[in-house]
Amino acid sequence: MSELFSPRRLQFRIIAFFLGLLLLVQVASLLLIGHSIGVNARAAVNTELRTGERVFARLLQTNATSLTDAARVLAQDYGFRSAVATKDAATLRSALENHGERIGATLAIFADGAFELQAATRDGAERFLPTLGRMVNMVDSAQKVALLDGDVYQLVVVPVRAPVLIGWVAMGFRIEESLLREMRQLSSIEVALLTRGTESPDWALKRSTLGSAVADTLLADWRAARSAVRAPADGVSEANLLMDLPAGLGSPLAGEVLAREMLLGRDGDQQAVAVLMRSLDEARAPYRRLQEMLLGFTVAAIVVFAIGSVFTARRITTPLRSLTRSARKLGAGDYTEPLPAQGSDEIGELAHAFEAMREAVQERDEKVRRLAYEDDLTKLPNREQFRTDLRDAIVVAREQRQPCAVLMLDLDRFKHVNDVLGHRFGDRLLRQVALRLQREAGRSNDRVARLGGDEFALLLPGADADVAQAVARRILLGFEQPITLDDHTVDLGAGIGIAVCPDHGLDADALMGHTEIAMYAAKRGQLGVVVYDTALDSGSEASLSLLSELRRAVEQEQLRLYLQPKISLGTGEVVGAEALVRWQHPQRGLVPPLKFIPFAEQTGFIRELTGWMIERSAHVLHQLHVAGLPLKLSVNLSTRDLLDQDLPVKLQRLVGTHRIDPGKLCLEITESAIMDDPQRALQTLERLHTMGFRLSIDDFGTGYSSLAYLKRLPVDELKIDQSFVKNMERDLDDAKIVRSTVDLAHNLGLSVVAEGVETAKAWKMLRALRCDEVQGYFVAKPMPEALFAAWAAEWAPPAINEVQLDSGFATLV
Amino acid sequence: MLRRAVLQLALCGAAPALAAPVGLTVLDAAGQPLADAVVAVYVAGAPAQAPAGATAELAQRQKTFVPGVLAVQTGTAVQFPNFDTVRHHVYSFSPTKVFEIKLYAGTPAAPVVFDKPGTAVLGCNIHDRMQAFIRVVDTPHFARTDAAGRATIDLPPGTHPAQVWHASLGIGAAPPSQPLATAGGAATLTLKQP
Repeated sequence: MSELFSPRRLQFRIIAFFLGLLLLVQVASLLLIGHSIGVNARAAVNTELRTGERVFARLLQTNATSLTDAARVLAQDYGFRSAVATKDAATLRSALENHGERIGATLAIFADGAFELQAATRDGAERFLPTLGRMVNMVDSAQKVALLDGDVYQLVVVPVRAPVLIGWVAMGFRIEESLLREMRQLSSIEVALLTRGTESPDWALKRSTLGSAVADTLLADWRAARSAVRAPADGVSEANLLMDLPAGLGSPLAGEVLAREMLLGRDGDQQAVAVLMRSLDEARAPYRRLQEMLLGFTVAAIVVFAIGSVFTARRITTPLRSLTRSARKLGAGDYTEPLPAQGSDEIGELAHAFEAMREAVQERDEKVRRLAYEDDLTKLPNREQFRTDLRDAIVVAREQRQPCAVLMLDLDRFKHVNDVLGHRFGDRLLRQVALRLQREAGRSNDRVARLGGDEFALLLPGADADVAQAVARRILLGFEQPITLDDHTVDLGAGIGIAVCPDHGLDADALMGHTEIAMYAAKRGQLGVVVYDTALDSGSEASLSLLSELRRAVEQEQLRLYLQPKISLGTGEVVGAEALVRWQHPQRGLVPPLKFIPFAEQTGFIRELTGWMIERSAHVLHQLHVAGLPLKLSVNLSTRDLLDQDLPVKLQRLVGTHRIDPGKLCLEITESAIMDDPQRALQTLERLHTMGFRLSIDDFGTGYSSLAYLKRLPVDELKIDQSFVKNMERDLDDAKIVRSTVDLAHNLGLSVVAEGVETAKAWKMLRALRCDEVQGYFVAKPMPEALFAAWAAEWAPPAINEVQLDSGFATLV
Repeated sequence: MLRRAVLQLALCGAAPALAAPVGLTVLDAAGQPLADAVVAVYVAGAPAQAPAGATAELAQRQKTFVPGVLAVQTGTAVQFPNFDTVRHHVYSFSPTKVFEIKLYAGTPAAPVVFDKPGTAVLGCNIHDRMQAFIRVVDTPHFARTDAAGRATIDLPPGTHPAQVWHASLGIGAAPPSQPLATAGGAATLTLKQP
């Protein structure tokens, strides 16, 4: 929970922001209200004080009026006037005292018309006379606040008439606390009376409504407040004074007090001032309650807001947290749990987007998994999956002491299908192949996988080499049926390699490696199916011994040159021969070429073999030339030979050594050898052509070389692949191919050689199709070089007139 | 009444010379004719006291003293008849004559004898507004000016001391004496402050 309120959490920030905002507004409004209360209270007190001043003046006026009335009654009293008439001072004084007491006067004076003092109720009254003289000039009765002996009196003067003016009666009334209290009752304003006189120039507090206890403090505060506003020492302050009276003195006033001075009377140096005071705190009191209520309201609002913002923040952050949890799960790779639905607001949308993302990621994750172990094109297991399956199968096989076979298959010429018909077509072809393979690997635990490109593999648990070969043959047989897609019919061929556990390996990688070697051997040799043999493997012990044996074969002259004649169809004469190599092994007898040629190609030893062949051919050429047989000899060049930069140099040297005509030496290159690296092949071929060698394309028709490319090749001769030749007797299409090839070659200025001629019919057809030369068992099998010259001397063209051609061929021709 | 008093004087005393009426005009300090001024001329040989039985009357009508100024010779008894329906309380606190006639109606039984020269100011204790002056002189030759400030006194020829009094002078000191020449039968006097 404490984590939820950490300052970094969104929830905390939302709450803090809104509460802060509210607090700011509330504090601002409280401050504003407080300030305006202060200002208003002050203004209200100021107004009250001004009103108080008028009230107090009025009070004094009222008081004076009633006093005047009382004095007037006295002045008109017949008895009093009679006493005056007696002119007896003692009587007069006693009358004054008597009547003064009657109305509560502090002082009573009688003066005659000339303001000569006649009698007074107290001594020293003559000091009032000048004041009285000034007063009576106004009206027939006058009132005034006067100072006497440092005290404040309200003085009223009325004339005495009998009936003309005979004198003046003046009566003084001290301003007592009772008047101040009356003032307070009327206006809630406290009043203090201060005087200063000739004798005591300092201000003295005479009396106040605050009681005597506070007198000193009040005076001191008042003085301080006066000096604060720079009030004139001998006048009243126009500005109101701000005083601060201490509490706890029994005074009804405490705290901040506003005071207003009011000049009551001034007589020379003597001055009387009333100070009206009103408590600011008291004026603020009603507002204070309002303020407290506002404060309470603020606190309540903050609580409500806090609850509200916690609730709101929860509404926002709870779904966010649940989304965060879900996102963490997604991060950890768990895509299975759907996100909880969240409603339709923005967070809901986010949750929906999250859910969509989860589904997409899950889908892609599955796809990635599939891609990792499945081939996307054919939906077959991929190499990785196949390896895993193979491992499992090996374990099972070893447990059950059963064999387990692996087949690997690579399509022939697939690259050219791709190049010519496009990748999309190629892909569809691959899918068809996958379907066929699945059909052939019919058993439930058989596995078909695509290893990549045009390479497929089959896992046959429980199958030994024989079973595997049977399956392989069945597959190849199946491939004899061409595949037709979009009006294109494609003849498929494949090389299949086989390796069997445990004979050829005990672990998956070794087994797959050996199967691959077998497959390459099958492809190179156009052998269809090859079961792995250590001899195939240049890295194996057997290979090493085979390699050393081959070297020995060259050194010890175990190799033999065989020649297969070539006959011109036009003249029926021997025009040349194809040079072939045979190995006369001292122990094993004659080793067929397939047993060592693919190996030699694989290991690179083929260059030495080719070197030996050319050397030997040159030698034979020379001998034949001497014997009067100006024949030409053909030697096969492998891919490696073609890529060998030194080949032209070697050939140049041989030509020089044996003094032969390079035009008599024909170098045969297979289409596929050229297509392995067309650029380099073209360069080499052009050099050889320049040197004068005759160049021939072997196995033409199997390599999908384009006509455009063919046109650029500096060759002199085409050799039609024997498969067309063998088939053409039965297959009109093949016959058409042969015819087109011949026509094509002639149009390009090339001569055409047909190999694999085994029948007189083939001979006749080829002659009819205007093929230039033929080669095959119908003429002669390959023979040792030594026998060739004799054979050539005896050679006579066969009689073929009886051979009948089918009508179809007849029309073709 | 004045005329009667003059008649009485003429009957009682032998005049040293034949008296003749003299027309007088009284002016105030500003030179304006002064009404209700009292002129007293002191003729040598004339009696100071009024003969016994001399009377005068100061009536109260409509809460007013009538006349407002009354001149009498010393020793004259003055009646205060009240012609109002309300009662009056006539008093005087003047040193010339202090008296009071408490609430009365009709004519009081006893008149008030003014036996000293001077001025008395009279009031009513009930009605503060009522006010009258009685000028008491030691000579039978006196008169009160009319609204135009004129008066006529019978005087023997010659120059006589005279006093002019007016209410504005109050009731204190006597006004100063001034000579009055009868030649031409007319004279002008001016009010002078004491």
